[in-house]
Amino acid sequence: MKNNHSSLRAQSKTASLIKLIVAAVILIVLIVMPFVGGAYIRNILILIFLYMAVSQMWNLLAGYTGLVSLGMQAFIGLAGYVLALTTQQYGKPIWLAFILAAVIAVVFALIISLPIFKMKGVYFTIGTWIIAEALYVFFANWAFVKYSIGYNITVAYRMNLNTFYYLCLVIGIVSIAVVLFILRSKTGLALMAMRDNEDAAEVRGVRLYRTKLMCFLIASVVTAIAGVALYLNLAYIRPTNAFSIEWTVSMVFIVIIGGIGTIEGPIIGAIIYVLLSQILYNFAGYSNLILGIIAVILIMVAPKGIMGYLEERFAWDIFGIRRRIKPKS
Amino acid sequence: MTPILSVKDLAISFGSNHVLRSINFDLYENEVLGVVGPNGAGKTVMLDILTGVLKNTAGTITFMGQEISKKSIYERVRMGIGRTFQIPKSFEGMTAYENIITGGVYGAGMSEKAAAAQAEEILDIIGMNEHALTFAGKLGLLDRKRLEIGVAMASKPKVILFDEVAGGLTESEIAGVLEIVAKMRKLGYSIIWIEHVIQTMLKGTDRVLCMANGVDVICGEPAMVMSSREVEEVYLGVKKK
Ligand SMILES: Nc1ncnc2c1ncn2[C@@H]1O[C@H](COP(=O)(O)OP(=O)(O)O)[C@@H](O)[C@H]1O
Ligand SMILES: [Mg+2]
Repeated sequence: MKNNHSSLRAQSKTASLIKLIVAAVILIVLIVMPFVGGAYIRNILILIFLYMAVSQMWNLLAGYTGLVSLGMQAFIGLAGYVLALTTQQYGKPIWLAFILAAVIAVVFALIISLPIFKMKGVYFTIGTWIIAEALYVFFANWAFVKYSIGYNITVAYRMNLNTFYYLCLVIGIVSIAVVLFILRSKTGLALMAMRDNEDAAEVRGVRLYRTKLMCFLIASVVTAIAGVALYLNLAYIRPTNAFSIEWTVSMVFIVIIGGIGTIEGPIIGAIIYVLLSQILYNFAGYSNLILGIIAVILIMVAPKGIMGYLEERFAWDIFGIRRRIKPKS
Repeated sequence: MTPILSVKDLAISFGSNHVLRSINFDLYENEVLGVVGPNGAGKTVMLDILTGVLKNTAGTITFMGQEISKKSIYERVRMGIGRTFQIPKSFEGMTAYENIITGGVYGAGMSEKAAAAQAEEILDIIGMNEHALTFAGKLGLLDRKRLEIGVAMASKPKVILFDEVAGGLTESEIAGVLEIVAKMRKLGYSIIWIEHVIQTMLKGTDRVLCMANGVDVICGEPAMVMSSREVEEVYLGVKKK
């Protein structure tokens, strides 16, 4: 019996070496990409990194803690406005916008957690959406942010696009690292337990409220940071796009087709989503419909998404979050 | 000797459904108290109350000298009340090993390292070494039931509550469960064991409590209780309905 475990461990050693090599190759390819791939590919990758980052966060909430938010656009919109105000209104540097966006996001998340954490299930979902809608109304009627006219974020035209590319790469990697760190820590056990059965997790001693709040705060900060980058990429902001539910709808699509409750899911999902969006660009009116149909078909074939299906089928553990038994010496 | 757990006049109602009216019993240290009663008697509800999932509308629960009716689920598991679920609620996307580690980390406040070492000991006790790295969702009923016991043990409970851990198992599998209970007895646990299988009550318990219609009908030596007129009436009464 113990042999069984040690062979599993031996296997995992070669496996982790292979993983390390693959990760290194991917990283090197991504690093040299801007120089060999051209502007188009660079821009696609930027979108993949950023959509993946916000989807990792939506997945952290919906996939593990059961907090299904339809209001993550609140953090993206706030971040976008922080960027616009910092750079356009006050002429301050971009890095300051990142810091301010993170701080404002965490404060805003703490404040709204008081009412919305009292809501359960679908009420939480609707509550988050209403808050984002309220922000839209508020910003559209707020003189200080130029009502619905918004801003052109001109600093975006002047930045070095390769530097921006690397920044987005780092944001993407950090979003994975954050989730990975949490899942490998003690809290990861609580999150996986909550994902599988929240009531049972509570009876086993998991404190649901504080675990959910912690994840909500982390998700809002990372989403806001990615939000600043998303608006650097977009280079203009208006209340309609800032607080549009489409931001969160794309996160939902990405996570569901990629595999909810897995780290790999948002990666695969973001790649598919961004590539599909490029293809569907010419069908502007129908693109959401087509994405929706694709999602529905995929859910019928593989209810747990692509990675959920593969992980179950082949017992994959790409990011090494499974706890292993060390053979007795 | 003072009981480790003492329940007095315990009652709960769901609207006009007075599921428990007045339940009374004591559980002594290192004792196995069997609980029988017809389906719907409120046995599972009683465990939900003891663990804090449901709140009693009247009565007292004294655990190790403290009244715990107002304490949270978390406080009670940390104080040392563990349980299994009638329908196993294992964490399906985690391995058996991880399920047990989680019980130790969150139920007993251990470091993950200590909880992992403990998990290996528990895997031995419940006889699940070969399934340690199997996902709980892929386990059969017997193993899920064993895992329930293992996860509950991981929280280092003083009192452990079994909700039909032998229900739905074959005779030889039940023998295996009885073995686990015997081991746990040696380790000093105090156990409340709800079960329909008469054989387990006769072989595995020190005393048996029968509850019906919201009250404790009879409590005493297993063979005496199981052959009592009261128990017969309770079960026949249900059959007549
Ligand atoms: N959360 C609940 N809300 C309302 N009624 C409940 C709840 N839980 C259990 N009941 C009712 O309590 C009664 C006892 O159920 P239970 O404790 O499961 O019986 P058993 O003795 O078979 O374990 C049943 O009539 C059930 O419908
Ligand atoms: Mg029951």
